[in-house]
Amino acid sequence: MVELKEVSFRYENGENGTLSNLSLSIPRGQCLLLCGESGCGKTTLTRLLNGLIPHYYEGTLTGQVLVDGVEVSQTELFETARHVGSVFQNPRSQFFCVDTTSELAFGCENLGLPEAVVRTRIAQAAKEFRMEALLGRSIFNLSGGEKQKVACAGISAMEPELFVLDEPTSNLDVEAIEDLRQTLRRWKAKGKTIVIAEHRLSWLRGICDRAVYFREGQVELDISMETLLHFPPERLARLGLRGLTPTQVALPACQPVCDTIELRDFFLSYGSQMALDIPALSLPAGAAIAVIGHNGAGKSTFSRCMCGLERRFKGTVRINGTEIKRRQLLKICYMVMQDVNHQLFCETVEEEVRLGIEAEAPGAASSVLEELDLSGLAARHPMSLSGGQKQRTAIASALLAGKKILFFDEPTSGLDFRHMEQVAQRLVSLRGRETTLIITHDPELIARCCTHILHLEHGKVLDLYPLTEENIGKFRAFFYSEANKNSLQEEPAH
Amino acid sequence: MQGRILQADVERRGLVLDPRTKLLLLITMATFVLGGAGSRQMSFLPYALSLLPVILLLSARAYKAALIAAAVYILAESAFRLAGPLLSGPVYFILLGTRGILTRSLPSLMMGAYVVSTTTVSEFTAAMLRLHLSEIIIIPLSVMFRFFPTVADEFSSINAAMKMRGIALGGRHAGKIVEYRMVPLMTCSVKIGEELSAAALTRGLGGNVRRTNVCEIGFHVQDTIFAALCLLPYGALALSAAGLW
Repeated sequence: MVELKEVSFRYENGENGTLSNLSLSIPRGQCLLLCGESGCGKTTLTRLLNGLIPHYYEGTLTGQVLVDGVEVSQTELFETARHVGSVFQNPRSQFFCVDTTSELAFGCENLGLPEAVVRTRIAQAAKEFRMEALLGRSIFNLSGGEKQKVACAGISAMEPELFVLDEPTSNLDVEAIEDLRQTLRRWKAKGKTIVIAEHRLSWLRGICDRAVYFREGQVELDISMETLLHFPPERLARLGLRGLTPTQVALPACQPVCDTIELRDFFLSYGSQMALDIPALSLPAGAAIAVIGHNGAGKSTFSRCMCGLERRFKGTVRINGTEIKRRQLLKICYMVMQDVNHQLFCETVEEEVRLGIEAEAPGAASSVLEELDLSGLAARHPMSLSGGQKQRTAIASALLAGKKILFFDEPTSGLDFRHMEQVAQRLVSLRGRETTLIITHDPELIARCCTHILHLEHGKVLDLYPLTEENIGKFRAFFYSEANKNSLQEEPAH
Repeated sequence: MQGRILQADVERRGLVLDPRTKLLLLITMATFVLGGAGSRQMSFLPYALSLLPVILLLSARAYKAALIAAAVYILAESAFRLAGPLLSGPVYFILLGTRGILTRSLPSLMMGAYVVSTTTVSEFTAAMLRLHLSEIIIIPLSVMFRFFPTVADEFSSINAAMKMRGIALGGRHAGKIVEYRMVPLMTCSVKIGEELSAAALTRGLGGNVRRTNVCEIGFHVQDTIFAALCLLPYGALALSAAGLW
């Protein structure tokens, strides 16, 4: 199905992800996992298959990429689109239309299929993906998981032979990942060829047949998925891969917490729908609290209210006996957003971190920069930094502005093992000093740095507990029950 | 949930009009209300036409936008009518200017907001195809339709970030509000635009076959009514130009 012959590629703008002298052949009907650390070239390979390289992303390409016997680099993109369907990382930016039905139709319309055929294909895809209820909806009102489902169904309706997925789960919660897994099973059952670039491996158990591990643009391992599954955890960690089996939770040393932050009247509704409904809650001060819950549980509404960003929010927060209202909350809370690019404004890192300072204590800025390993970068433009450096800059600016409560919105989505660990260490270093709340779907991150868990569902607090030995069951139940159920069903009896 | 005004929302679109009717409405508003075409006898026309966007926005359940705009319009107009004769000098001219800008541009802006927020990309494309426009024009225009709501989305995130950093009107750094907003907005928009195009291209956009469009558009009773309403002023204009009215 796919033949790569001595392929080398280097991006024009010097981006990471160079490939050198790569040869690989993928037989029809195989499901192939591409893994490796960020910048190893796995995204580059997916782009070679769907033709975005060399037709959209420019660079120097040598060698041959054949899909179904046709050379991709010599074929127009719209021709390749007939045979290769692509699903991308960011569900926000892969939609062309603004409503779901047109989105399902979009690909087929581009192929110029007759109207009647397009209609049947939409109906078929909707039925197959059990998403009739999602038809005729506005894209902007869907959750990340629903968006990814619509994207898959839209590609599926075009009936390509090869499916290429580039980190499709980075923005998804446990349930949505399970949905995506079902999608892959359907494609597999139809005998389609699938190539998937991923960091998280556990959900691909029983789906992928073969795993290819990249390092610096070259294939380091080309093994069966079964073999990869039996690698000891330490070896996987060395390879920078996210665990296959649920991680052993190493419990953080839990210091007793004396101070609390009291939340009162956390109510907010959108129209008639109650998005947040928390009459009272006390959070341990100085703790690292993981905020978990399914999509739509009210996690982001909760954080927006607490940061003082919701104008209609009337609740209060009490710290050390002082009552704080919405406007003051803006001054003491800070959210490190998922897309950090939204919150860096200045021309240098130095200016950036000084921006929010009221009256500067001498040397405060440089010591915080030092602490976050940014001193060497003080004169750089924030937009020229790497993702992790940008995140550290945002944290530094919050620390210097004297923020007491830090929110992190999905700080590890789309990160590989090594980068996830770095974020975890950063969060650990804030523990005890600032109160941090971390909205996340990532159990490995929680296991590494959180002291407490706040579980929200339907806008209400379902549970709040310290992450201790006796509570570990609850934590595992939330993240792993579904995953375990499936692997039990699918593992052949030994 | 902010920045919704520019996002076409298929779940609440109110009175369904054909995109071509909407275009006609826009052109009519621009000609007679914004442009102020028409003779002396037709001076009631802008007021009558200004009712249209209010009705349409109400039908699309954009109550807040419709009511605020209507209130601003009425306030500006009545202030001018009531206080105008009593004032003189610069104050009068300020009032005159404000009223002029508001009553002329506001209705057309509202109509624009209505059109953008109730037309989906595929309806728009379908309408343009029926008007026999070339794909070379249609594709960039439809990308714009998709791009603006996304930028609005980005903008609201950036706003939130600025608030948390204490950059606001009246605060410190007030002079830099525009600059601080543009830097991240540009970076994010470029990135999103790039991803959007890549996704569309891998799904066969821009092929050499003629695109089909399954979107059902067509003229209904309501289209006839609004089209007739739009054609009336042109008729009157023609009559008065011919000296018959």
